[in-house]
Amino acid sequence: MPKEVRLPQLGQTMEEGTIVTALVKVGDTVKKGDVLFEIETDKATLEMESPAEGFVRKILIEVGQTVPVGTPVLILGRQDEEISQSYIDSLTGSETSTVSPSPVKKSSSSSAAIPASSSPAQQPASPPAPGAAALPEGTRVICLPQLGQTMEEGTIVTVLIQVGDEVKKGDVLFEIETDKATLEMESPAAGFVKAVLAEVGQTLPINTPILILADKEVEIAQACIDSIKSGGPATATPSPQAPVPTTAQPPTAAATTPIATGGRVFASPRAKMVAAQLGLDLARISASSGAVRITEADVRKAAQGGIAPAATMATVSAKYGLGQRIAINRLQRIVGEKMLLSKQTIPCFYLNIQVDMTELVKLRTRMNKSGDVKISFNDFIIKAVAMGLRHYPIMTGRLDGDHIQMAETIDIGLAISTDLGLVAPIVKNTGAKSLREIAVYCQGLIDRARTEKLSLDDLTGGCITVSNLGGFGIDSFIPIVVPGQTSILGVGRINDVCLPMDGNIMVRKVMNLNLSVDHKVANGADAAQFLDFVKKALEHTDNFTQ
Amino acid sequence: MNLQVEDMRTKAVPAIASLMKQGTITLNNVKDWLRTMYEIRFFEDQVFELLGQNLIKGASHLYAGQEAVATGACAAIQMGDVIGSTHRGHGHCGAIGNKYAQDDQTRQAHWNRMMAELMGRQTGYCGGRGGSMHIADVKHGNLGSTGIVGGNIPNAVGAALAERYKQDNAVVVSFFGDGATNTGAFHESMNMASVLKVPLIVIIENNLYGMSVPFFGSPVEGAGCAANIEHIAQRSAAYGVPAKIIDGQDVVAVFLAVREAADYARKNQQMIMIEAKTYRWYGHSRSDPRVYRTKEEEKAWKERDPIAVLSKKLLEEQLCTQQELDAIRDRADATIKAATQFGLDSPWPDASELAKDVYVIETYPESLIADEKTASAQVMKATEAFETAVKTLTGQTKKEITEKAKEKIRTEFGMNVLLMKEAIIEAQAEEMRRDKNVIIEGEDVGIYGGAYGATKGLLQEFGAKRVIDTAISEAAIVGAAVGASLRGLRPIAELMYVDFITISMDQLMHNGAFNRYMFGGHAKVPMVIRTEGGVGRCIAAHHSKSLEPWLVNVPGLYVVMPSTPYDAKGLLKAAIRSDNPVVYIEHKATYGQAGAVPAQEYIIPLGVADVKRAGKDVTIVTYSRQTMFCLAAAKELAEKHGIEAEVIDLRTLKPMDIDTVAASVKKTGRLMTVAESFCMCGTGPEIVRRLIEYKFPDGYTGFDYLDTPPVNLAAADVPPPMSEPLENASIPTPDKIIAAVKAMM
Ligand SMILES: Cc1ncc(C[n+]2csc(CCOP(=O)(O)OP(=O)(O)O)c2C)c(N)n1
Ligand SMILES: [Mg+2]
Repeated sequence: MPKEVRLPQLGQTMEEGTIVTALVKVGDTVKKGDVLFEIETDKATLEMESPAEGFVRKILIEVGQTVPVGTPVLILGRQDEEISQSYIDSLTGSETSTVSPSPVKKSSSSSAAIPASSSPAQQPASPPAPGAAALPEGTRVICLPQLGQTMEEGTIVTVLIQVGDEVKKGDVLFEIETDKATLEMESPAAGFVKAVLAEVGQTLPINTPILILADKEVEIAQACIDSIKSGGPATATPSPQAPVPTTAQPPTAAATTPIATGGRVFASPRAKMVAAQLGLDLARISASSGAVRITEADVRKAAQGGIAPAATMATVSAKYGLGQRIAINRLQRIVGEKMLLSKQTIPCFYLNIQVDMTELVKLRTRMNKSGDVKISFNDFIIKAVAMGLRHYPIMTGRLDGDHIQMAETIDIGLAISTDLGLVAPIVKNTGAKSLREIAVYCQGLIDRARTEKLSLDDLTGGCITVSNLGGFGIDSFIPIVVPGQTSILGVGRINDVCLPMDGNIMVRKVMNLNLSVDHKVANGADAAQFLDFVKKALEHTDNFTQ
Repeated sequence: MNLQVEDMRTKAVPAIASLMKQGTITLNNVKDWLRTMYEIRFFEDQVFELLGQNLIKGASHLYAGQEAVATGACAAIQMGDVIGSTHRGHGHCGAIGNKYAQDDQTRQAHWNRMMAELMGRQTGYCGGRGGSMHIADVKHGNLGSTGIVGGNIPNAVGAALAERYKQDNAVVVSFFGDGATNTGAFHESMNMASVLKVPLIVIIENNLYGMSVPFFGSPVEGAGCAANIEHIAQRSAAYGVPAKIIDGQDVVAVFLAVREAADYARKNQQMIMIEAKTYRWYGHSRSDPRVYRTKEEEKAWKERDPIAVLSKKLLEEQLCTQQELDAIRDRADATIKAATQFGLDSPWPDASELAKDVYVIETYPESLIADEKTASAQVMKATEAFETAVKTLTGQTKKEITEKAKEKIRTEFGMNVLLMKEAIIEAQAEEMRRDKNVIIEGEDVGIYGGAYGATKGLLQEFGAKRVIDTAISEAAIVGAAVGASLRGLRPIAELMYVDFITISMDQLMHNGAFNRYMFGGHAKVPMVIRTEGGVGRCIAAHHSKSLEPWLVNVPGLYVVMPSTPYDAKGLLKAAIRSDNPVVYIEHKATYGQAGAVPAQEYIIPLGVADVKRAGKDVTIVTYSRQTMFCLAAAKELAEKHGIEAEVIDLRTLKPMDIDTVAASVKKTGRLMTVAESFCMCGTGPEIVRRLIEYKFPDGYTGFDYLDTPPVNLAAADVPPPMSEPLENASIPTPDKIIAAVKAMM
């Protein structure tokens, strides 16, 4: 069955894109991730990847054309699949309204393929609910946008608007949590909020309608809203051959009632108390069916079911008592999943080396006395690792089918423990940064991590992660490689040790480094040389003073 | 029956010298009267002035002009006799204080305390709680003074009843005004006093006006009229008691008349009425322009100034020189000046002691409270066993089965099974045996045994002196209980229906509940008002209410409402022993309810709730008959719906054991109140308020522990209807409780 591919939103503010190059032609076979077009947006020229694999059956746009986000640009299908004209028409909007998300009065202009919602994150075409009332002119259905390239679904963390609110373009509508970060979703258009279709706590696929905007006076029939809602979480490639509206709802929706429809969270005093004690954020908890407020039972259920704790976790965590049950927050779940994936799919070997940090300790003390930026040991280590990676690019390698792809730039992750749990944002292009720049950048990352301000970008990529438990008094530990990266460096504490040196026994400041390496990518010899390089880089402090 | 009113004014008053010769009085006595009258006069003049300077605030009913009445009367009675006073009471308080002041220093201290009280100072007789209208030194036989016109009269009857019962030969003098004789309290009291044959002398100070209204007409145009007879003493005929009219301006006349009356009352144990014709110099209060009196009338009366009348006698009879009289006057002046300075120099009451002396502080040993909890649980088991036994045992008649079941409980639990009313009778009987100061009074409590049979047999055991049938006079029944308890008895007054408490409310609240506080903590009112309420007998709106919200609204009262025979007995015994006034309300539908009661003597501490069923899901707070409904509902909720309700029987509504409620809500997160009274400002909402404001040691409040909005089940906001289905519809019932609990979950 054919699938249409639509112009994605390639950046947060992107509303439309101009086709610069078409890299495929009808008949080509494409894999998921193959570049289909080069698209110029308001910001940059970007590659548009294929969201699926198949044969290109039809290209719906031409080079030079500027189309809004969401416009169908290509049809994929089986090798010899016939694509009906009516399907093509339905996509280009030149024919009937059978595939519009609701019975919208349509203009035949192809540049406004879905005029009811010219928003970039609009509801993809899906059949109307039977008997649904028409959406009045000027109504915009806002859909959950793809806020990052890998984002497939998002959880509504906060609803910041409510019905009746006036919003301007760019106003923040929702806070959305993705697999990577919590992000703000801005309004792609101005208007008055007519209906909020998403609820706090719901996890929705991208492109699910979540808000209806319209002019102030416009009244939208409930039937209409219902029909849009029941159009529900259509995938990016809805099937016109399946005209039955999908009623699939996020799992929480059926059993719960929305509590925070953008404003006050209604919860019983007891629920508030228990949530505070468990460190849970009430905004992420739903009341049970038919109830108007969150009760203690809802909080306890949520605690068992895994709701991200509120930001006060740190103070609360000290209060954990024996026998207590605490919720697994989303971050921790992601950490768990990734670590499990790592252990299951990455065959590691482990290397250990001791580094004499005596000179570096002195250097650092000196530098921090005079410099404007405080430099941590991690900054030195990251710098040394970056130098090592430049010498041993294999240590940036990533398995790609039957190839190993070396990284374009040297990006190094830094494991940071926050109130919410563990994050490892990336020091982008570390290789090009001076020690001082690394220090500044890392401090920014730490601040953003602690205030939950990390962007999706901060969390994407990386060849290696540096994880330092020296601060906790740990001498040596073996970290787990982050999937997608080649290795991980576990840094222990700096400890006074008696070392034989030039026939004498000297008291030196020694630090353990453990490197866990993906054996699919690198072998022991590569990794050992790399690690030895890092050691030497740290020991020869003039590396850092030039 | 002597219906003759003796008008003493028609007879010559004997000369002082002749009275001295007879040994009736001494010259010093007479000089002291003069001094007292001067002191009262100067006191009132001073108060008038201080009111003008705003150094005294509040009420200002001045006694000037009437000094001879209080002075002569207080002089005529004996130490240990009792007086009762009114809103115009400075004279009574002044004169009785002087009577007990053996030396000048005590006398000065007495006036100091009076002045300080009027100024609202800590050093006043009532610590600034009472002021002008409630000034009293209750330790010296003063029942206190009331601001409610006529309100003090029933108390005097009760006090006289106590003096009679104690047989200590004391009499009670009750002062009040002409205006008061038109109140119901006056009639109820005179009637009750005459019937009960108590040693009471009522002294009606007929100053011709009740505020502006003349008792019997006035030459001023537009003036009204309060009564259709000129002489109040004529009303004595209605009560079949002797009465005298006297010249209230002549202290010698007053003295002689009251002395004779007191002798009569003491000897005959009968009341007597004295109407003293008198006049007040000032207006009713400071703000009164006196437009209802003519200048001529005022002038004529002032020519008969009691101080002038006595001074003239002393001079004419050559018993005193003018200098001597002047010296008495100057001494009185100095006393009042010193008292004024004392008052002004006195500290204000400490606001941190605002709530002091509302109650007599009563505590129970921790062990008693703990043991009672154990006992209560045991009783629950025994009662259950009894109910099962009645269902399972066999016999020829119901009575036989019941007797067998009772025997079973006696052997197995060592407990008797009593009906509610039997438990109430037993409690009273035990306490009456234990303490001879316990008496019972009320309508039909004697030979009839009480409208609901709750005093049956007590007359037979304790006699008519201790189980006293009264006329249908609810104000006087309660007022007499107040007066008797002020004089050391522990009366139990029965009101047939709590609905009738509306008629007694002044007595119950203003005197019963407030006296202790108003009189600076020097009085106590250890009475019990036993009554019953609730629906259940189809007797409609005047006989079916639950008025406990009215009562818990009164500071100074305790309110107890038992739900089982065990509670009824233990709580009533504790109520009788309590030094605070307790309203003890039974439920009319429960008198026939059977329950286990320990064979040994016990009391149940007041102010301690009873968890009658433990549960974890919802807290139901209730009391009285509704406890039984809640327990039935809780049973079904557990058996059919898997909901474990905790049922708390408050037992005492005031003081309320909110600790127990809060501890339960902390556990359950849900609060329902169930009461049979009206909801608005009712007990349920009050429980909720207390819970919400409750502070736990962990810093949380009761509010924080709530997981659902509290629910109040109460009587519908309708006058209780007669028809049975309507009656049932008007109150919470087990099915409504079940439905409401389910809706909370
Ligand atoms: C029940 C009641 N009604 C009215 C008043 C207001 N009031 C206070 S004193 C008074 C006059 C009382 O007259 P009387 O009993 O003759 O005493 P007098 O003031 O003349 O001494 C009135 C109407 C009151 N205090 N209590
Ligand atoms: Mg009067």
